[in-house]
Amino acid sequence: MKRSAFAFPYIIYALIFFLAPVLLIVYYSFTTKTDMGTILSILNFKRFFDPESPQYMIVLLKSFKISLYCTVICLLLGYPMALILSRLNPSVRNILSMLFILPMWMNFLLRTYAWATLLEKNGIINTLLTKIGLPPLEIMYTDTAVVIGLVYNFLPFMILPIYNMLTKIDYSLIEASEDLGASSWKTFWKVTFRLSLPGVTSGINMVFMPAVTTFVVSRILGGNDSILIGDVIEKQFKMVDDWGFGSAMSVIIMLLVLIFMGIFSSIDKQAEEEGEILI
Amino acid sequence: MEMNNNSIIELKDITKSYDDEYVLNNINLKIKDKEFLTLLGPSGCGKTTTLRIIGGFTYPDHGEVLFKGNNITKLPPYKRNVNTIFQKYALFPFLNVYDNIAFGLRIKKMNEADIKKKVEKMLDMVNLRGFEKRNVTSLSGGQQQRIAIARALVNEPNILLLDEPLGALDLKLRKEMQIELKNIQQQLGITFVYVTHDQEEALTMSDTIVVMKDGVIEQIGTPQDIYNEPVNPFVADFIGESNILPGIYVKDYSVYFAGNTFECVDTGFAKDEEVDIVIRPEDLKLTTPDKGKIKGIVQSVTFKGVHYEIIVIQDNYRWMIHSTMAAQKGTEIGLNLYPDDIHIMKRKVKK
Repeated sequence: MKRSAFAFPYIIYALIFFLAPVLLIVYYSFTTKTDMGTILSILNFKRFFDPESPQYMIVLLKSFKISLYCTVICLLLGYPMALILSRLNPSVRNILSMLFILPMWMNFLLRTYAWATLLEKNGIINTLLTKIGLPPLEIMYTDTAVVIGLVYNFLPFMILPIYNMLTKIDYSLIEASEDLGASSWKTFWKVTFRLSLPGVTSGINMVFMPAVTTFVVSRILGGNDSILIGDVIEKQFKMVDDWGFGSAMSVIIMLLVLIFMGIFSSIDKQAEEEGEILI
Repeated sequence: MEMNNNSIIELKDITKSYDDEYVLNNINLKIKDKEFLTLLGPSGCGKTTTLRIIGGFTYPDHGEVLFKGNNITKLPPYKRNVNTIFQKYALFPFLNVYDNIAFGLRIKKMNEADIKKKVEKMLDMVNLRGFEKRNVTSLSGGQQQRIAIARALVNEPNILLLDEPLGALDLKLRKEMQIELKNIQQQLGITFVYVTHDQEEALTMSDTIVVMKDGVIEQIGTPQDIYNEPVNPFVADFIGESNILPGIYVKDYSVYFAGNTFECVDTGFAKDEEVDIVIRPEDLKLTTPDKGKIKGIVQSVTFKGVHYEIIVIQDNYRWMIHSTMAAQKGTEIGLNLYPDDIHIMKRKVKK
């Protein structure tokens, strides 16, 4: 058929650029370098889950915890921002959404270094605080700094999908709800929030997933114990030269993320079927 | 406090403008309890804005909205005992038919057993029993329309506002729904305020028609009044087709137009005053040239089903006639009129 013929180049593309790397990583995860050369084994996974030395699992758990904080904060900050943005008149709205997107054009590293200069012991924030007579904050090189850096970097990914859903809402539905006796507050929960849920779920997906595996941010803003699983993986590839173990950790995260997504989308679907989720 | 014995809603000196342009200019209107009132006019005449002011979705710049004599001008929609049928129905896509209808009752925290009874009664009324679990987006336009009606009426409002609700339906369904809406209105005995630009719809359903243009009320009256006694050429032209031509008021019961003096039923204009004459196409009677007070050449004859539309040219005026009799194209023909079919109107000074 003609149509499937058109799809052919795309299939080739997907095979080379998406599937092949994943398969390679899965393959590497089962390889271990020994004196007799590279062998296939499950040693890498054993090493990760070794109860004797649980440091890798601890880092993984911590990465999940930090990206969970980051996601919750992004949602709590991002939803009201998206809501305000969507209620503004179009000209102001465009300027403001531009401002939200603008930092994304800058290099990720630069943005993170910028936060370092803000949060440093003698950085801009502390200088201002001491000037107005307040005690300086000691958040540089802590988990808090890492969370701040992550929130800053990922916030646009939360705002934009929610904002997109909110602007698509047919305003007559909101009027219909008020017409049927629902106050503005009830209308928000029963109609506006309900209709924006797909934006919320994709926002959560777009923040949580990359935040789990992020690296560099923790290295710049975090302390020695703020290392995240992304950093550990990176180290395996670039410094230790143990591709097998690095790949095994990637595969583990990938599986955990898949499980997480599965649970999440089933909750989402359930909510869709039940219709009423809040109040 | 002022008491209006039978007006349920009163609009007093309502003015509304957007960007320095008047959408409503000094609207005064009393809506009687239990009547079917239609706001009729071309798009941009302010009819929808008037409806939205009654619903509480828009607040007027000046003026008052009174509900049974109480000022509700600034009351938000959810505190008004008024419900609305929106143009595109505005059903909640994430709720099924039953939950859509139950929405208002659940907000009021009514118990589920009572809600069930009321929702089922409404579904019976709109003939959609058995559709409870259906997804609203899977329904046809006509069915969605009925759900919207049920969702509004289940709240037992004092007033139902309808914003061009039949606009998206096909002609046959529209005619059916017109009758059904009228029946529902009479059955439940509640006030309907209906917005449309379709004059035929207005004439079919209304007890009272309010004709609007450019944010001003042109005429308020029964369908018969509006059709038979339009107050100005705009109303005449908007409600059905009309022949509108200049004339001179000779004296009481006598008017000059189309090259002849005609007997009429009007009085009260000044002698020799320039007036507009409005004549309905169906009021012109075909006759032979020698018997007609108006003579002209038949330019075209179009079959329209119930009648023929005949265009007759007399000097430089083009007459439109609706007649069950056909005429021969190109022949000379005579036209006659009864005195009470001649409507005389004050000439509006054109800006």
